[in-house]
Amino acid sequence: MARELTQAIVNGILIGGVYALMAVGLTLIFGVLDIINIAQGVLVILGAYLSYSLFNKAHIDPYIGLLITIPAMFIIGVAIHWAFISRLRGSERTSMTLLVTYAVGLIIEGILYKVYGANNVQISPSYIDSSAHVLGFYIGWVYIWGFVIAVALVGAVYVLLYRTRFGRSVRAIMQNGDAARLVGINVNKVAAITFGVGVAVTAAGGMVFGETNAFNANSGYDLISRLLSIIILGGMGSVGGALGAAVFMLTLESVVTIWQPTWAIAVYYAALVIILLWRPAGLFGQKAVRAQ
Amino acid sequence: MSKPLLTMEGIVAGYGGGDVLRGVTFDVPEGKITCVVGPNGAGKSTVMKAISGLLKPRLGTITLRGEKLVGKSPRQILDLGIVQVPQNHSLFKDMTVHENIDLGGYTIKDRSKVSKRAAAVYDLFPQVRGWAQMKAGALSGGQQRLVEFARALMLDPKLILLDEPSMGLSPMVLKSVFDAARQMNANGATVLLVEQNARAGLKLSHHGVVMENGTVRLAGTGREVLEHPEIGELYLGGAVKKA
Repeated sequence: MARELTQAIVNGILIGGVYALMAVGLTLIFGVLDIINIAQGVLVILGAYLSYSLFNKAHIDPYIGLLITIPAMFIIGVAIHWAFISRLRGSERTSMTLLVTYAVGLIIEGILYKVYGANNVQISPSYIDSSAHVLGFYIGWVYIWGFVIAVALVGAVYVLLYRTRFGRSVRAIMQNGDAARLVGINVNKVAAITFGVGVAVTAAGGMVFGETNAFNANSGYDLISRLLSIIILGGMGSVGGALGAAVFMLTLESVVTIWQPTWAIAVYYAALVIILLWRPAGLFGQKAVRAQ
Repeated sequence: MSKPLLTMEGIVAGYGGGDVLRGVTFDVPEGKITCVVGPNGAGKSTVMKAISGLLKPRLGTITLRGEKLVGKSPRQILDLGIVQVPQNHSLFKDMTVHENIDLGGYTIKDRSKVSKRAAAVYDLFPQVRGWAQMKAGALSGGQQRLVEFARALMLDPKLILLDEPSMGLSPMVLKSVFDAARQMNANGATVLLVEQNARAGLKLSHHGVVMENGTVRLAGTGREVLEHPEIGELYLGGAVKKA
């Protein structure tokens, strides 16, 4: 029993790291642009398909392929921002973007169906089933490397936010958009790049997701509902909160799975509701993560 | 009256649902403190937004030493040397005071120049230097105002727009904030102040502008406006008359 529990916790932490990476993108976009990118789940799947195609058609290892898919997803993100998000203004903007990003998600989903069909696929490099034997536990290498990549990229986002001029302008906008404008920060440009970064991380998230799950074009729905619950739980707009909440929720799900796999999802969302009743600003949120 | 730094002529502006400013004309003399007073809804804050470029006027001109401002972006107006300290608190609360000051020089590319400006600003407001490592959100309302002033000075502006700096401050704190405004002016900046607290604002100022219903009702020296019988009755409370 203790053994199974430990294994479940280890798995939860490893998968949680990958969800954290995807959620960090979502929470950054929310923090800076004040919008919820409903398309984030489908974008993860798009990232997964990009890695899948590079591997199956061009025989590029999915990890090496990130050098292509991350910049590609960044460009897609900036393009979505330019074409749709930046055009929405006025008081209804936040609620409008829910619809608009949902529509963007549907468009991408439709294209993916057209291109790849409805069958489930999985990214399956030769090492997909090999595992490391650590202290009596078997842990799949794809989970370990997925976790390592996720931690490295979340670290990179952290450095970008806290150690660069760009990051300073991002944090300034998150804390007080009007004041950021007054000191001369180009809010629209920073927003476009942030949206790009927030989408770019889905390339890595999608790659790992696609190696550890069979997926098709509509796998994005399950993802987006989990990602949303993670960023709500972590405190909207908080990067550290998203990390903690992702690891917590996925570990919880992994542990529940030992007893009753069919209950795992139900417990996941029940936990979300209970925690929010107890702490409306999320597990790690202060009164207001975004001071207004 | 010294020659105007900023001239506003026939400005008509609003937020879509009708005009808030209906032909506003006044001068801001260079090197002086000018105070705009008037009842709620007179359009005082809208004047500020029109100058800083946050709101585009429908008609009229605004010039800074002859250069037209209408049609320029907020960033271009900032680069011309006009900074605004808004009515609501505008610090980045989770950053330190120093980070806030530093962001005041965001548009300056040369980092060594930013440090030099910060040192000059700290020299003018030594209290602020003492708070440098504190989180801006941990300061009191009056302290935050001083940091906002200090941040505004980072660009060594020609004109500082102060939108109701007294908002939410106790009379004691108000005095120190107004002293700081005077200090910025003595240091060379022209100040345009909008005040709900008309009497205190006009006492501080060389020049007063009284607005009503989106137009200028009266302009003159601070003293003239303060002592104008009709204005005293209307906006300043009768007690002023004895001053």
